[in-house]
Amino acid sequence: MKSFNLFIAAAVLITAARTFNPYPAAGESNAGMIIKKADAPFITEKMYSVGTLTIYRSGNPRPGMEIETYSLNRGNNYYSLIIYRKPARLKGTAYLLINDDLWVRFASTGRVRKLSSSARENSAGGSDFSYNDMGESGKGMASQYNAELKSSSVSVNGRKCYKITLKPKAGRKSHYSKITAFIDRENFHYLKIDYYKNNANIKSLLFSDYRAVNGRDYPFKMVMESHIRPTKTEIITGKIDLNSPKVKDSIFTVSYLKRIR
Amino acid sequence: MKDNKKPEESAAVNFLGRWGEWASVHWKKTLLIALAITIIMGIGFSSLKLELTYYSMMPKASRQVRDLKKIIKEFPAASSIVVVLQAEDRHNREDAEKTVKAAVDNLTKMLSGPGYSDYVSQVDGKIDPAFFKEHGLMLLKAKDIKRYRKIFSDPGLVPFLAGLNNDFEKEYSGNEEKLSEDKQQITSQFKGLKEILEEMKRYTEKPEAERLTNAKLSSSIDRFLFGSPYFLNRDGTMALLFIRPTFTINDMDIFVKAIPLLDRAIKKQASSLHVKAGLTGLIVVGKDEMVTSEKGLAVSTTIALILILIIMILSFKMYSAPLISGIPLVIGLIWTMGLTGFVIKRLNILTAMYMIALIGLGIDYAIHLLTTYVQERDDGNSFTESVKLSLHKSGAGIVMGALTTAVAFFALTVAKSAIVKELGIVAGFGIICELLAMLILIPAILGYRNHRLLKRGKTESSFLNRNKLQYRIVSLLGTGIKAKPLLFMLLTLAAGAVLATQANRVSVEGNMMKMEAKGLESIELQDTMVREFGFAPDTLSVITGNIESARKITAKMKKLGSVKEVESIIPFYPSQKEQTRRIKEIKAFKKNLVLQAGLPGSGNTGGKASGNTHRKAGNNAGGNADEHISRERLINELNRLKDNLLEMSDLAYSAGMDKILYALNSITGLNMEGKQTGEPVIDKLIKSINDTPDAMRNIDAFQKYFSGLMRQKLLKMADTKRIDISMIPDKIRSAYISKDKKSYLINIVPAQNPWITKNRRILLKQLSTVTDRATGMVLAADQMTQIAEHDGIKAAITAIIVIFFLLLLDFRNLKLSVVTLSPLVLSFASLFGIMAIAGIKFDFINIISVPLLIGIGIDDAVHINHRYLLEGKGHIDTVIEKTGKAVFLTSLTTVIGFASFIPSIMRAMRSTGIVLSMAMALAFVFSILFYPSVLMLMREKLNMNILPWGYKNNGTNNNGKNHYRGKSNSDNPRRQK
Repeated sequence: MKSFNLFIAAAVLITAARTFNPYPAAGESNAGMIIKKADAPFITEKMYSVGTLTIYRSGNPRPGMEIETYSLNRGNNYYSLIIYRKPARLKGTAYLLINDDLWVRFASTGRVRKLSSSARENSAGGSDFSYNDMGESGKGMASQYNAELKSSSVSVNGRKCYKITLKPKAGRKSHYSKITAFIDRENFHYLKIDYYKNNANIKSLLFSDYRAVNGRDYPFKMVMESHIRPTKTEIITGKIDLNSPKVKDSIFTVSYLKRIR
Repeated sequence: MKDNKKPEESAAVNFLGRWGEWASVHWKKTLLIALAITIIMGIGFSSLKLELTYYSMMPKASRQVRDLKKIIKEFPAASSIVVVLQAEDRHNREDAEKTVKAAVDNLTKMLSGPGYSDYVSQVDGKIDPAFFKEHGLMLLKAKDIKRYRKIFSDPGLVPFLAGLNNDFEKEYSGNEEKLSEDKQQITSQFKGLKEILEEMKRYTEKPEAERLTNAKLSSSIDRFLFGSPYFLNRDGTMALLFIRPTFTINDMDIFVKAIPLLDRAIKKQASSLHVKAGLTGLIVVGKDEMVTSEKGLAVSTTIALILILIIMILSFKMYSAPLISGIPLVIGLIWTMGLTGFVIKRLNILTAMYMIALIGLGIDYAIHLLTTYVQERDDGNSFTESVKLSLHKSGAGIVMGALTTAVAFFALTVAKSAIVKELGIVAGFGIICELLAMLILIPAILGYRNHRLLKRGKTESSFLNRNKLQYRIVSLLGTGIKAKPLLFMLLTLAAGAVLATQANRVSVEGNMMKMEAKGLESIELQDTMVREFGFAPDTLSVITGNIESARKITAKMKKLGSVKEVESIIPFYPSQKEQTRRIKEIKAFKKNLVLQAGLPGSGNTGGKASGNTHRKAGNNAGGNADEHISRERLINELNRLKDNLLEMSDLAYSAGMDKILYALNSITGLNMEGKQTGEPVIDKLIKSINDTPDAMRNIDAFQKYFSGLMRQKLLKMADTKRIDISMIPDKIRSAYISKDKKSYLINIVPAQNPWITKNRRILLKQLSTVTDRATGMVLAADQMTQIAEHDGIKAAITAIIVIFFLLLLDFRNLKLSVVTLSPLVLSFASLFGIMAIAGIKFDFINIISVPLLIGIGIDDAVHINHRYLLEGKGHIDTVIEKTGKAVFLTSLTTVIGFASFIPSIMRAMRSTGIVLSMAMALAFVFSILFYPSVLMLMREKLNMNILPWGYKNNGTNNNGKNHYRGKSNSDNPRRQK
């Protein structure tokens, strides 16, 4: 059950791309093509997953959170619903993301609130992921960032990688001043993504435990490590289901959010 | 090179021999020469300054250092001692909070008394709320004043609760970042709110006569509006007290006495108040560092010294051997410091520490000279002849060894950091001075000793002759190596190669705090402060002479992710433009309050409340203080409040904001896991409202008190007078404005422990986008890490290259010069390998082992080369026996000396002891077991020519003259005695 992982990965890597073409078009730069190949496995219309999110503070794990994730790419719209199943204190807490809008349901009161658009930059559920990291909509990294191939021979965990620098395209607002992606040369797996702000690498996302699901390779483990706080967030996907019948249009509504238990 | 000249009998070598002979005979004149040099060097010594401060580590005369010096001089708060207080019994949090608060008050009084005035200039246990009570709103941003206006749109109880609920929902619902940003303020609000609700419940239940006075309600409202004046931790069971001392971190002699005195007094008093106390802050860490660096070493260094003395006395058969080697050693140190005084004028932490290493290096020259002298005496030579031959035979090796070591040190001048460059110069001088002191003084002192012995008609001690150390093991090694050179070479090479495979794993300790003693209270309390109070005592600072620049820097710094908090005068002194904006908002706020209160001039008779969207028209819901409160609306708002608090509690739980969670749990009755462990205050209140007869009448009475008090406080806070610097309390002003009133201090509290290299580098990178003027003691750590990470290795590589050329000049043989470096390379690789396996990291102190290892490692090989060239083919056993003894002795004394650091409780000292002892032992192993085997195999098995250019491997030169036959001692003209 790794749907949440998949969701995160898809989101972080700019999933949404409804009409995404996984193959680079003629004339595109090498870097752009590499990024698109790396993004390709994360693009799916419907996805359901269950995963465990564990936040480490100063190296100590806090109680793991079991999370169900539903996501849907429909036309120009991106929907996702994250429901906390464990621990007991947070059971029933849910986040609904529809494009740029975000709602939260509180388990303790059952109330639903719409969050301001600026809250998307905030930490999601106390983790090292922001809501934006988790559900960045749009047209994929290549369409939002200018990619530049910096090296073809760097190594991450003993694997030869492409090192690609991504900078926001002119006129596009980004939470990060720069992103550096490390992509496996052999299989185009993302291995690491470094996020930069104010000149410094503020956090890194590490991908591992790639397994084949419906003919695509997905990372069953992702770790976002903050470099400015003593925290890291680990997401272990337990179950993942593509084109799951559980993913229905009707669940991506505020009224459904209110009915969650 | 003249081909008929024997290389080992160069003019220089002959000069050394002749000098030894002359100095031993004319010892008085020689001693006078040494005295004259010492007097001259004494002049330099007198101008030498000891700069053992942290900022002596940073680039000299840099802006950072200048600013840091200015901060320490102009901002006394920067040298504050932090007292961490913790209630002995923390189970009942409310009682514990009372206990620590009482302790803060008590200790503040005690330390402010005349008994401590010599050391304490000010004590801050809590914030004086007077300034905030008067100018509270002027200190809020305009948008927050607007928020206040909405919350307090109506002084009635229900509108207040509604306003508060609206604010919670608008500002904090689902917004962890905002909750975290306002952590301090919101936590206080929760605590104040809890007290207000409890008071409300009391009013609801108790008959009028039994109600508490307004004082309790007043203090609860104060807490809600201004927070606690104490510096409390997340659950209120700990508190901080800041002592501003009369001394700074540079007054070492004072703080070493004063801090233990304060520590004892505070702990004794705290104990009587049922509180545990501990001191921290950089100045306390500095004191602990000084004390612990010596602690645990007294016994071990005494034992080491006695052992070395015994070894020297027994090895050289002279009771005076320690003096013969010790006097030149000390004189050499004085000359070094004199020369340093003339050239550099200061000793920093690193060069001062190097003086210890110089003792280890300098004594080696004495050991080599005395070993040869004793060997010559044992061979029956006269005193003068023995002295002459000791310099003749060992002199070349000693001079060459010293030159290579000096070059290794001078090579440190390629380093990036100024402090390492200084080390290079001082250490290079040190080696030259020690060499000269030994060469000048040892023959003279031996001459004096001989003169005394002759005068008294005494000979060498028969006891010592009987019991002298024979070093048979060295002879046995010589025989073994001669018999099986390949085996020795392969075994040692294999061991070195295996260890070398791990060498690349050796790492550098970037956290200076991990170099301190384990379990040191001042260090542990720093972690406690981060954990319990959410900040570290070590900040970075920026000073600027311009208030507008201070505003810009403060605003930009706040946006950096690696910065937790920015402290400066700015929050207390808004710009004139901002003050104008705030005044406008405050006036609107005030007008609203006056209007609602129906105060004279408001034109309101007290019926309608504005700004309360929850009040239905015509519903007399209890907005105005004189109105009756609607039970239904009150309960609705209380339930809404409960929901908001629960939701914020969920957010705080998932985001790990424990301080907020504790405060919220005390209202909601939940435990950390979210289980209901107590009845929520709000539920109790609602129950009281529902169950108590006349509850609403009592609530009406409560509203009257509450609204009156709240309005009164808010009106006082709403002073629209512009804030001038002179109005800011002195405690705050003096913390952020310099004594000369020309500079403004901005303290940057990092989000992560800045002593850890990775954290510090991210912080510095982000800070560099705002200013290049950040300074602080933490930056010294950067210098030190740089030394350990780059400079040591860079200098070592440079040194090895330069040494190689020196070897080439000395031996005039490429093969020999290359192979001379091999024991050194193996020693390094093995040392790094062992360190990696044992998990020992390099730090800026033990990195000194790098040049030391180069110096000693090369020396040993050079001595062996010279002796082998002298002894010739087939005499590797003699080489090992004769030179090996001195090499063994130098290694043994050095290992014993450095091993005496190992019992130190200071981790850096301990690791230095381990690393240096290992380095010396490895240098010995590879110099004595590996290197002679290689030399022998090269020359005698592979028939490689290692003789100087112009000589054939059979020892003949281009003219056919045979100098290096190496067949027997008598054949070799260089083996004359």
